[in-house]
Amino acid sequence: MATYIIRRLLGLIPTLIVITIIVFILMHLMPGNAFLALTQNPHIKDASVVIQRKEAAAGLNLPLWQQYVNWVMNLLHGNLGSSYQYQEPVSRLIGFSLPNTLTLAITAEIIVLLIGIPMGVLQASRVNKGFDVSTSFIAVLLYSIPGFVFALFLIYIFSFTLNILPSFGTVTPAVPWSGDLGDRISHLILPALALSLPSVAFYSRLTRGNTLQVIVQDFVRTARSKGLRDGRVLFRHVLRNAIIPIITQFGFDIGGLFSGAVLIEEIFTWPGMGELTVSANLNRDYPVILATTLIFAITVLIGNLIADILLAVADPRIRYN
Amino acid sequence: MAVQALQKNMNASNKKEKVKAPWKLSLQRFMRNRLALAGAIILLAIVFVTIAAPLFTPYNPTAINIMNTNLAPSAAHPLGTDGSGYDNLARLLYGGRVDLTVAVAAAVMTMLIGVVYGGISGFFGGWIDNLLMRFVDIMLNFPFIPFILALEAIFNTSGVLILITVVSLTAWPGPARFMRGIFLQLREQDYVLGAVTIGASKWRIIFRHMLPNTISSLAVLVSMAVAGYVGLDAGLTFLGLGLPLTVPSWGGMLSQASNYIDMRTEPYLWIPPAAMIILTILSVNFIGDGLRDAFDPQARS
Repeated sequence: MATYIIRRLLGLIPTLIVITIIVFILMHLMPGNAFLALTQNPHIKDASVVIQRKEAAAGLNLPLWQQYVNWVMNLLHGNLGSSYQYQEPVSRLIGFSLPNTLTLAITAEIIVLLIGIPMGVLQASRVNKGFDVSTSFIAVLLYSIPGFVFALFLIYIFSFTLNILPSFGTVTPAVPWSGDLGDRISHLILPALALSLPSVAFYSRLTRGNTLQVIVQDFVRTARSKGLRDGRVLFRHVLRNAIIPIITQFGFDIGGLFSGAVLIEEIFTWPGMGELTVSANLNRDYPVILATTLIFAITVLIGNLIADILLAVADPRIRYN
Repeated sequence: MAVQALQKNMNASNKKEKVKAPWKLSLQRFMRNRLALAGAIILLAIVFVTIAAPLFTPYNPTAINIMNTNLAPSAAHPLGTDGSGYDNLARLLYGGRVDLTVAVAAAVMTMLIGVVYGGISGFFGGWIDNLLMRFVDIMLNFPFIPFILALEAIFNTSGVLILITVVSLTAWPGPARFMRGIFLQLREQDYVLGAVTIGASKWRIIFRHMLPNTISSLAVLVSMAVAGYVGLDAGLTFLGLGLPLTVPSWGGMLSQASNYIDMRTEPYLWIPPAAMIILTILSVNFIGDGLRDAFDPQARS
């Protein structure tokens, strides 16, 4: 297993190289660069000279391939460069944003797994009864609502009408309890719900379908006839077999949850990777664009890897050699 | 879901239907699916009110009326007016045209790329397939948001055509891989072998024998894509990356009304477009589910 993981991790490198090369080319195809805004500054007399000096300092006058090689060499030394826009090391910007995004995305993922999968199993065990029909209908309704539309409704209901949950930021500013665990959690609830609810609905549908396929098989009847309790049969025998395709799908979706977080972060003014990515692209802040793309790509690739590893854990028949 | 489908199929075969054209059978099965039928009716209603928008509102969705900004709903303006004096109902109805056009056009374009790319890959196989699929794998891993941001910046203008292009350029790898799988399966079918043995040309085999058999999968894929793109387009426009705010669209209406003050005090500005987005996606999803059941190859008798 360990060798498999290492081999897979090494296998990610060519993909990352191609992705960063494509981003590098796209980045330079975008019109303008971060320093051109200096021409608008009335306090700078010879803007073009200043811009040239800044471009040279950033290495932008080198041929494109040379710039890329430089970037990779710096990356290998653990140096992501310095943001043009904020005059700060990119690693510090990311060190601030990434934990916020991780908190949001991981909370959402936990909600998806904890609610979506058991819900699907329960629906399947009561197939076509009142509980299944009503919750299935709600699930179809929920996954037809895009996360950001959800966010608007959640804010309207819980922040504006009921006035019980905050609608922006990660902490309440200027109160004694600012930054307390309870304060942080209350800020996390709405964005995490907005991000996860469409997925919760999707995973309950997926689990329901898979469980229904497994539930009719012979070994389930055997387990029942041995006299095992229904709950045990359902969650030990059926779920273990039904969960494999769900886990694979979940791994593939981890990257999607991170991308989806961008919109949700924007609505809840959650200071995460979304804000950083959008502003870096608008300001042609090349080092930040490259770093954020790299991180988004790595989350997708790691998600796929986790999917494969969990698959092996869940299904001992799968062997990686 | 699968068990249900199986039961449905068994019921269908028990009735000993006469031999009918496959598409007729599919249509019948689709009509029997109440949710799918309801979805089709809702979607037709939405399409109708957007096309026939002038019948429902006398206002021009792009005519600013500075004397009438931020009006509450009234008989003259059933959904009120927004901060620019646009009539909200007019924007809702005309905006639907834009949203539906973008979603359908982007879905069709994505599928075209997917069919051609996946078709070539699946039909020829070998090193061509290997090379093409490696690229698809990379593009599937490509982070979506930075890619869309970069494309938006490169095309440098925002508008309906650009949005369609950007969405289809980002979304094609999934359908391409799916279509490759279908072509790989079809290639092994006896009738394709038959066509090869009687000396049919490659292009004839692809266009006459294989493509018609992908239609059912394509229909399902297109419906799913349309549902997804209605949300995606609205989301991008909401972020300020899709359509310019001068073009009436549901995402644009949401984005304009979603500041904290308007959202709280003027819910009639954003709830209608939000409801339209949800209704459209919901009905298309029901149609997609219905199509999938209707075209289920196991159900063919």
